[in-house]
Formats: sequence, structure tokens, C-alpha cells
Amino acid sequence: MGIVITVTSGKGGVGKSTTLANLAVGLANEGKRVVAVDFDIGLRNLDMLLGLENRIVYNVIDVMEGKCNLTQALINDKHSKNLFFLPASQNNDKNILDKAKVKELLDTLKKEFDIILLDSPAGIEGGFEHAIAYADRALIISTPDVSSVRDADRVIGIIDAKSEKAQRGEEVEKHVIINRLKPELVERGDMLNTEDVLNILALPLIGVVPDCDKVISSTNMGEPIIRDEKAQSGEAYRRIARRILGEEVEYLDLSVKKGFFKRMFS
Amino acid sequence: MSFFANLFGKKEGSASVARDRLKLVLAHERASNALPYMDDMKAEILEVIKKYTKVKDIHISSQTNQNIDVLEMEIILK
Repeated sequence: MGIVITVTSGKGGVGKSTTLANLAVGLANEGKRVVAVDFDIGLRNLDMLLGLENRIVYNVIDVMEGKCNLTQALINDKHSKNLFFLPASQNNDKNILDKAKVKELLDTLKKEFDIILLDSPAGIEGGFEHAIAYADRALIISTPDVSSVRDADRVIGIIDAKSEKAQRGEEVEKHVIINRLKPELVERGDMLNTEDVLNILALPLIGVVPDCDKVISSTNMGEPIIRDEKAQSGEAYRRIARRILGEEVEYLDLSVKKGFFKRMFS
Repeated sequence: MSFFANLFGKKEGSASVARDRLKLVLAHERASNALPYMDDMKAEILEVIKKYTKVKDIHISSQTNQNIDVLEMEIILK
């Protein structure tokens, strides 16, 4: 029986889909059968991050409405044979999602896959509620800035209130991923550091991804950065994937390495 | 800012301001969002009151006085 992990953030544009795409590849590379589901109905974009946009025939709404069967809609990744992708629809709005149908879909996916990654839409409305309703675990993405941390805090409260698991008296396992951390700014005291964010959100950490220019080109290419052996952010994602599976993995050293002379003259 | 403070990077930056502002705003928001059932409860209570009297709106606020949590309801009649 698979588990549902929802990737969410509250604020948009903090790297939710990028994180999900990378972790999907990472978890598949660890040998798990993974399906990445784009729940951002009407605003499809996980397809481009995975480089699978040209292969879409059916989408998640088609499956839920019985217009096709699941196997017709699932797209197999180019490189990882145990990674599948279920795209969002483009022409519906978020209100089309129906709780019973969402549950049915997830129950079916749980039988086929080890891990179901749900890309939740930003915000706290309908689409988001469906994405967290049946979550077993949640990964909350936040960048180290005030608006993102504030919205993350709000979303954490809603997960506790509205998920099925929470309503049954159980707890959705929640972890924070801090994205786009700039070590130089942290060192200078001009960016919230990891500790600050964790103190405020009062949740355990599962990863810190440094800000990295290479992510932009990898997005341009539709190749998740996690496949880049040399990129620091790729390494960060690889480690997060292993931590999700319960492994204890050391954190990346993100301290700024400055020589004595550079420090004197900077 | 002394030369040495600069040298060893012991500068107080804007992050500490961000931290304080966030803590303040979240303390306030958490208190007001602590009751997720509030909207549903409010709607139901409103229905009941409407049966008996003309009501314009109701306000429910939560307060903590020492160790006692209090829900305060204000019914505004037409």
C-alpha cells in the first residue's frame, strides 16, 4: 500500500513544483515506484519541469470522470522507468475536483505505487484542500522570507484542521524544506537562517536547498537538476529523497568559505 | 560598525528584524485562526437565532484570560 505525500507551500512561486519534480526523480532512483500527480487544476506546469509536456493525452480530470482509464493517462518518465506522471487538466477550474472522486483515485494509485506525490496549488482554497485531504505526509516548502514563512505557517494550521487523517485524530507527518537559501546573505545577517525558520514554524526540517542558477537552466531544459551530479542543489534533493525514505543523511555544508584575504578586502 | 566587527562578520542584519516581525504577526494570526470550525459553527448559530428573532450579524471572538479560554458571542439585531 502506497503513501500520499503532498507538497505544499501557501505562497506561490517558492519552488513547489520544482521540488516535487526533483524528489519524484530522486525517490524513483532510490528504487520506489513513484507517481507525481499535478493537482494544480487549470494551471498545468509539472509536465514542463519533468520534460513530459509533449506526451500528454489524458489528464487527471479525465481519469476521475471516467473518460479514460488510469493506464491511458499515466505517462512514464523518459529516464526513470519506475516514475510515472499524471498531468493536471488545462481547461477546467479547481472547483471541478470532487472529494469522493479524489479519494477513489488516490486509493487506486496507492495499490499501484509506493509513493504518490501530490503537487498542491498555491493558496488555501478548494484545490489545496483536496490535495491535503488524504495526505499521509506533507512537505511544506518555504523560502527564507517573511511572506513565504507566514503563508507556510497558515497552511500548516489548515493541514492540521482539514486533513482526513487529522480529523480521525491521527497526525499528518509534516516536514519543512527550505528552498533558495543564499548562504552569503545568511552569513551577513540579511536572510533568515534555517534555525529561524524552524523556530517560527515549529516543524522538523527535512532539507535545505541552496539558491542555484543551474536550477533555472534545468527548468528551461525540462531536466530536473537532481540528475546533475555536480550541482549543489541536485545533491540537496538527492539527500532529501533519502531522508523521506527514513535514512539519516548528513546536511550539506552551506557555510560560505571565505579566505582570509577575501574577508579583509570584501 | 567597527573594523573588527566587520572583519568577523558579527553584523546585525535585516534578518533579525524579519524574525521579530514574523513572530509578532504570527502570534496574532495563530490566535485568530485557532478555531477552524468557527465559520461552520457561526453559520449554524445564525440559522437558529434567525428562527426566533431578526438578526443582522453575529461576532464570535476568542480570548484567553489567565488559564481560561473564553468564546464571546455578540448578536447584532436588526
